Amino acid sequence: MEYLGLSLALFGAALAAALSGIGSAIGIGVAGGSAAGVMTEDPNKFGSCLILQALPGTQGIYGLLIAFFVLNKLGLLGGAGAVALNWNQGLQIFAACLPIALVGWYSAIWQGRTSAASIQMISKKPEAMGKAIILPAMVETYAVLALLTSILMLMGIQVG
Amino acid sequence: MGVARLKKSELYYHKSVHAQIAAALQESQACQIISTESESEAKLRESGSETLALLSKSEEKLSDIRYLMRSLTPHFVDPVPSLDRMLGERPEVSMEDLSKLSDQTDLKVICEKTRAVEQRTAQTRLELSQARADLALLENLGFFQYQLSVITEGTKTLKAVIGTVKAESVNKLKAALGDFSKFSSDVDLTVAEIDEKANPQEIYAALIYSRKLEREILDVCVKNGFSSVEIPSHFQATVAEEKKIAVAKIAELEAAEAAALADMKALAQENMPTVQKLSDYWTSMNRRWQEIAKSENTETTVFTKFWIPETECEKLKSRIDSISSDVELVFADPEPGEEPPTLLRNGNLARPFNILTELYSPPTYRGIDPTPLLAPFFFIFFGMCLGDAGYAIVLAGTIWYVFRKYKRIPAGIKDFIKLFAYCSVSTLIYGIISGSFFGNFIDSFVPILVPFKNSLMLVDPMTNPMQVLGISLLLGVVHLMFGLLIAAYDKIRHGEFVDALGANISWFLFIVGLCFYGVGLGGMLPSHFVQIGQAMAILGAVIIFIYAGKGKAGIFNKIISGFLALYGSTSYLGDILSYSRLLALGFGSAVIGMVINLLGGLAADIPYIGWLIGIVVIIGGHIFSILINILGSFVHPLRLQYVEFFGKFYNGGGESFAPLTLSQEFVTVKS
Repeated sequence: MEYLGLSLALFGAALAAALSGIGSAIGIGVAGGSAAGVMTEDPNKFGSCLILQALPGTQGIYGLLIAFFVLNKLGLLGGAGAVALNWNQGLQIFAACLPIALVGWYSAIWQGRTSAASIQMISKKPEAMGKAIILPAMVETYAVLALLTSILMLMGIQVG
Repeated sequence: MGVARLKKSELYYHKSVHAQIAAALQESQACQIISTESESEAKLRESGSETLALLSKSEEKLSDIRYLMRSLTPHFVDPVPSLDRMLGERPEVSMEDLSKLSDQTDLKVICEKTRAVEQRTAQTRLELSQARADLALLENLGFFQYQLSVITEGTKTLKAVIGTVKAESVNKLKAALGDFSKFSSDVDLTVAEIDEKANPQEIYAALIYSRKLEREILDVCVKNGFSSVEIPSHFQATVAEEKKIAVAKIAELEAAEAAALADMKALAQENMPTVQKLSDYWTSMNRRWQEIAKSENTETTVFTKFWIPETECEKLKSRIDSISSDVELVFADPEPGEEPPTLLRNGNLARPFNILTELYSPPTYRGIDPTPLLAPFFFIFFGMCLGDAGYAIVLAGTIWYVFRKYKRIPAGIKDFIKLFAYCSVSTLIYGIISGSFFGNFIDSFVPILVPFKNSLMLVDPMTNPMQVLGISLLLGVVHLMFGLLIAAYDKIRHGEFVDALGANISWFLFIVGLCFYGVGLGGMLPSHFVQIGQAMAILGAVIIFIYAGKGKAGIFNKIISGFLALYGSTSYLGDILSYSRLLALGFGSAVIGMVINLLGGLAADIPYIGWLIGIVVIIGGHIFSILINILGSFVHPLRLQYVEFFGKFYNGGGESFAPLTLSQEFVTVKS
């Protein structure tokens, strides 16, 4: 049972990076399909389509960020060696990873759908780019809040 | 500052100067033509026939130009990259030059040439695909050793047919044909060798038979699953010979196709520069006559109405006066009931932020222009989100390079770039005070500078995030309260004192009071702020409560709506918490930077080439980080403006001033 804490913490980090990455991949995929459709009609919209497609990609980055944060906290980056962790601390870190893992996963998918709809919108009304960017950003708010929650929780947990 | 004052102009002129006046209005690029009320298709046709003729001429030219652009653009190697073109590197020409060019160029001839080459290409491609299909067919007929004319024509007594038969039916077919064995010399079935790897289900077979038995034999064939393959009638020689012919033909056609494409390319290279210029010219002309067609006509005069910014009136008047003396130009202020379009006009400092307002929705003509009000907040928020001195230097350096290289950037794009130039300043400042330079680059690689970096730090989001969270939320409160005060000011301006007090000032008192109370309790402000805050909050709450009950019948309804209104404070709580994204995004860019440096440092430990990989990781990683974080730092502060800030006082709802302009996609028109 010596390594249970470390394992739990790593499990959390893995979920943070993996689930939000999955969400972003789906979200970007959905938006990309929509963008490709619009560009068959008007290839000049590549720039605006790309920006809208990229919007659901941030969740994956947030997840990665939390995963690195955890690895850093555990001393697994660089040559210093892992810190000692009891299972309680490991569970705490695991819990801290959940907000970005779950919200990142789901919000990226829904943000991707909104992005896809926004891409359809600019295909008809290119001047509405501002509004088209804001709609998916409304969804991302909750990923940002989850990121913040995860960060604050991780900072509060004492290890080593 | 704010919304530019417009004048409504009425212009009466004689038909003889029609063309010059129209050109003057368009080239001023400052007049938005208003439809006169009597505008109807029928009326237009009878009175404005010259305009209509000019309009249909421009449309005719444009349809040729669109055809040429569509056909030639894929073959055209533009000497000016499209990015350069967007940034103003376009040939400078005057409208007279373009008009002359248009007279000298016969678009019809270019169209004909292009069509001819296009048709040739299509024809060649058609023949080529035919020839390839022939060759593919011949590949399957290698087993047939006689002249193919036996199949396509036959001899006096014999005829042959080629077809496919299912592998399992071959023997059945052979047996069935065996019944004709008494005339064995009259039937001969040749079956292709079966290639096990290829398509084993279907086998090619050739059948040579005597003409007198044709019907019976073909009947047997059909019943036994033999389906004939059509052999093109031009096949006469043996398969091997025909193959040679087909291969030669394909080579010839391929050469012809290449030649046609080369011709197309030459056509494109020769004509595209002209076509592009004419595209701008005729698009301008089309716009011009479409807009002028909104004028009213009499037998000899034309009457055009348009909006024009006050500052442009003099210039236009002198230009119009120089054309003819038979012109009457009157400027008038918009009447109270009229809703003129909106042109935002801000000083140099706020102008780049105009685009943020326009992206949402411009204000109405008599509304408040929110641009100067949102500009400082956007500036600060962007800085906090990107928040890295190194990224700021890269951003500013790139912009400096662009401005140095491109001297003729169009005004709109220039303003947009300037917006980022401004924001790089706030990014630099926040990067310095939060100690972020390419993430934690200094701590990781240049420890000697750490004391210097630390001496400049005022906040440390890494070790004390609560401090930055507090600052973010405080900025949020300031931003929201500022929005409430603007709303109150706007209402007072229109004489709605009670609404200003009840809907805006009350909430201002309530929330600021609560903040004073909370901060006072926390010991960050002198203790008498606790009492002041308490008093403000209670006063605010009472006003909110009473105001909500206004106009409701019965004491019970009044109380209910009062409580409901107070419950609305949760939305303010949500609004304020929304500003925590400033911390989160700033944190995000700092940690991404940190991760990149970490990975670079790890890569540098690889023996021999590690340093190289490390440098690539660090440079590539930071470029990625800059791009993704600029996107986030633009979008999220913008959302705070649109949703939280504008929600308090601004609806937009205006219509942008859209003057009659010249098309300048490929050229810059000099006046």
